[in-house]
Amino acid sequence: MSRVGVGAALRWEVRKLRAQLRARAVLVAAVLAPIPVVFILHGQSRPPKDTLFGRFALENGFALALLVLGFASQWVLPLLTAIVAGDVFASEDQHGTWKTVLTRSTSRGQLFWAKTITACGFAAIVLLLLTASTIVSSLLVVGHQPLTGLSGQTIPAATALKLVTASWATMLPPMLGFTCLALLLSVWSRNPAIGIAAPVVIAMVMQLLGSLGGIDAVRPLLLSTPFEAWHGLLAAPHFTGPLTQGALVCAAWGAVSLLGAYLVLRRRDITGG
Amino acid sequence: MTEQLAVDAVGVTKSFGSLRAVDDITVQVAPGEVYGVLGPNGAGKTTFLRMLFGLIRPDAGTIRVFGRTWEKDGINVLDGVAGFIESPKFYPYLTGRQNLEGLALLDGGDRADRLAEVLEVVDLTDRAGDKVSGYSYGMRQRLGVAASLLRDPRLLVLDEPANGLDPAGIRDMRALVKRLAGSGLTVLLSSHHMDEVEEICDNVTIMRTGSVAFHGTIEKLRTMAPDPGYALSTGDDVRAREVAGRHPSVAVTTDPDAELVVTGPRDDVAAYVADLVRSGIRLDGFIATRTPLESLFFMLTDAESSVEGAA
Amino acid sequence: MRRILTALVAALVVIGALTAVAVARGGDNSTVTRARLERALPVAFSNLYVKQAHVEGRHDITPKSLHAKAMCDKHGPDVADVGPGGDWVCLMSWKDPQVPMPPEGYGKFELNVHSNDCFTAGGPTKLTGYLEMTAADGRTVTNPVFEFDGCFDPTGDNTPTGNSFPSLLSVTSTTLTPKQDGTVDLGLGCGTGAEGCAGTVTATAGHTSLGTVPYDMKEEATASLPFPTAVPRGTKEVTFTVHPTRGVASSSPSVLPVTFG
Repeated sequence: MSRVGVGAALRWEVRKLRAQLRARAVLVAAVLAPIPVVFILHGQSRPPKDTLFGRFALENGFALALLVLGFASQWVLPLLTAIVAGDVFASEDQHGTWKTVLTRSTSRGQLFWAKTITACGFAAIVLLLLTASTIVSSLLVVGHQPLTGLSGQTIPAATALKLVTASWATMLPPMLGFTCLALLLSVWSRNPAIGIAAPVVIAMVMQLLGSLGGIDAVRPLLLSTPFEAWHGLLAAPHFTGPLTQGALVCAAWGAVSLLGAYLVLRRRDITGG
Repeated sequence: MTEQLAVDAVGVTKSFGSLRAVDDITVQVAPGEVYGVLGPNGAGKTTFLRMLFGLIRPDAGTIRVFGRTWEKDGINVLDGVAGFIESPKFYPYLTGRQNLEGLALLDGGDRADRLAEVLEVVDLTDRAGDKVSGYSYGMRQRLGVAASLLRDPRLLVLDEPANGLDPAGIRDMRALVKRLAGSGLTVLLSSHHMDEVEEICDNVTIMRTGSVAFHGTIEKLRTMAPDPGYALSTGDDVRAREVAGRHPSVAVTTDPDAELVVTGPRDDVAAYVADLVRSGIRLDGFIATRTPLESLFFMLTDAESSVEGAA
Repeated sequence: MRRILTALVAALVVIGALTAVAVARGGDNSTVTRARLERALPVAFSNLYVKQAHVEGRHDITPKSLHAKAMCDKHGPDVADVGPGGDWVCLMSWKDPQVPMPPEGYGKFELNVHSNDCFTAGGPTKLTGYLEMTAADGRTVTNPVFEFDGCFDPTGDNTPTGNSFPSLLSVTSTTLTPKQDGTVDLGLGCGTGAEGCAGTVTATAGHTSLGTVPYDMKEEATASLPFPTAVPRGTKEVTFTVHPTRGVASSSPSVLPVTFG
């Protein structure tokens, strides 16, 4: 029997994902949810000044798209990716199908990478859809006036569009970091509910820790901090130190999570199902 | 050079915590053989089969499948091996066909053209487009067989294939297994029903609480078997007992329901029954209550008793 | 169930360990520092102040021409000027030919600095205006410098700017009530600034001198200054003249009404 590569396992994972109602619902939500959010925010009588760019959100589409970004990064993005990543391993336990797939010609390692790539790819697609939907609906509903940046500078609309898109794109590393964390929790807990809920709770706890004063040394190490690294893009002169540092932190979290998940899966006795 | 064994498991041991699920088991299956692993639930059959499939790592011992080991060959151990452990499980949100298509992908994709064929073998062609969530237990069991056949195996491992099925399902499944066994495949069949194994297996290993209670051919097992028992009802029990006096190797007793119970070697019992008929005693019923192998199986696997020299 | 509990315990251990590391390393590792704020605030302010001027139809200033300079302080002299909080004060001076600085030479901004290296600043309304303003075309628009957000590079230049402004001494009493012996106390407040406030206050009630009393205060402190001589009965008001040796004070005397109890 021919040896099977990761590719076949990947195709199988993608096929399963496409058949899952939950995954399709997340994609649809990523496209549709920003629209009512934008309308509701735009309909407010007072701007939500507590959040960065909130004070301009009622009169500037770019600011509104960034306001939504700040909100989404708190727990929405970890949730959206965890819905698939937290489930992708644990669902095999839930359905008792480990023994079904592991008695074919695909090794545990190949299945592991197929599932990891599937979850990461899904995270990227969700982010892409959410970004496009938020920016397009913000610009259509509120408009594309020049944006006031984080150094008080005026950013022309064309540049603002690039910067807002880039800011959304910087969500990818921390989102992938949370994806890997969710994968670890999925492998380890064998329970989809934990795989999905725990990363969201962890994201919120990290957010809380990061906002506390006095433990500033921890802040750069948290997986939630890179969610705010985009601020530097909107300053003048712009700075990318936090982005670089954030990417490293995400890579470290991701690598450790994946390594842990891989070892747990490799060593585990499949007794159930 | 001797013929390479299909399964060569030597000294396999596995503990879960303080429980020794499998204790120093040796099972050797020659190619083309139909091999039974018998034992009551919890005897360690399934744990052994899981180790064969690499789902569980043994604490000690070696397992070779067609000469390959997990340590050296990884997933290649399963080349030419198929089967299922306990009740086969599938993705409920996919159809039967989609499940098989996916498993064919995990096999390398070159068996996908055999989908229709294997569905036909297990008689699921009509329901292949339905989601597995709507399948009955028996249908899932048959889909499990189809999934195994898809791999075109040389060694087929079936763990209690008739478990949980209704009588008609048991009949169909046994017929299917028999047909597969007759096709020249090596089959490793686990069961807790003696009669299931007795019909088709050449060799058996009987397990009891993790260790081997008997190992050998069905023939050898038969020679060790005690006399079979029969329930007898006649028109005149008193005379029937008198007739028994002429057959010293046959014992006739009365059970708690005041029914006659006849035990003895098969031929002698047959002679006794013929004698009853000749003596003009009306025969109302004559039922085999326990086959000899079943009797032996219960003796072997009952923790209290033991059979000398069984292994 | 056991896995869930283990997971919870593990998470708590990780969080606990991280926190312990943080506490051990101390709070001074914050990226929120005085120097970074002193660099970031004037930039954001200048850009927005010019934007405000443009809304008003003025085009005589540029961010550069303002030469804005800030000096920041967190929570008085006894607290290190580092770390996030709502207790940051920045004194800022700038040059706008149409809006002269007050005598002390700067305006006071209150900042809420967040741990994510962004801040929200509120300006001195006398200098920067209220929440809403009237544009050149008559529309009412939001004043961009009434309150504004900014962020700074957490790895940015952290060498001290050397910016320094003197503390402003202000008279906090609004009326005087002589005590039983007829003497009065004067309430003083010393604002945020480089060195605090010191000097003398001379008080006169009509033609009677109540004496000259020295003061020496830290920044962001208040004091009550007793004058030795009793206020003559019937005095309506007392005039105080401040002669600062450190810090600044209004050069015009404060005149406070007297009410006898």
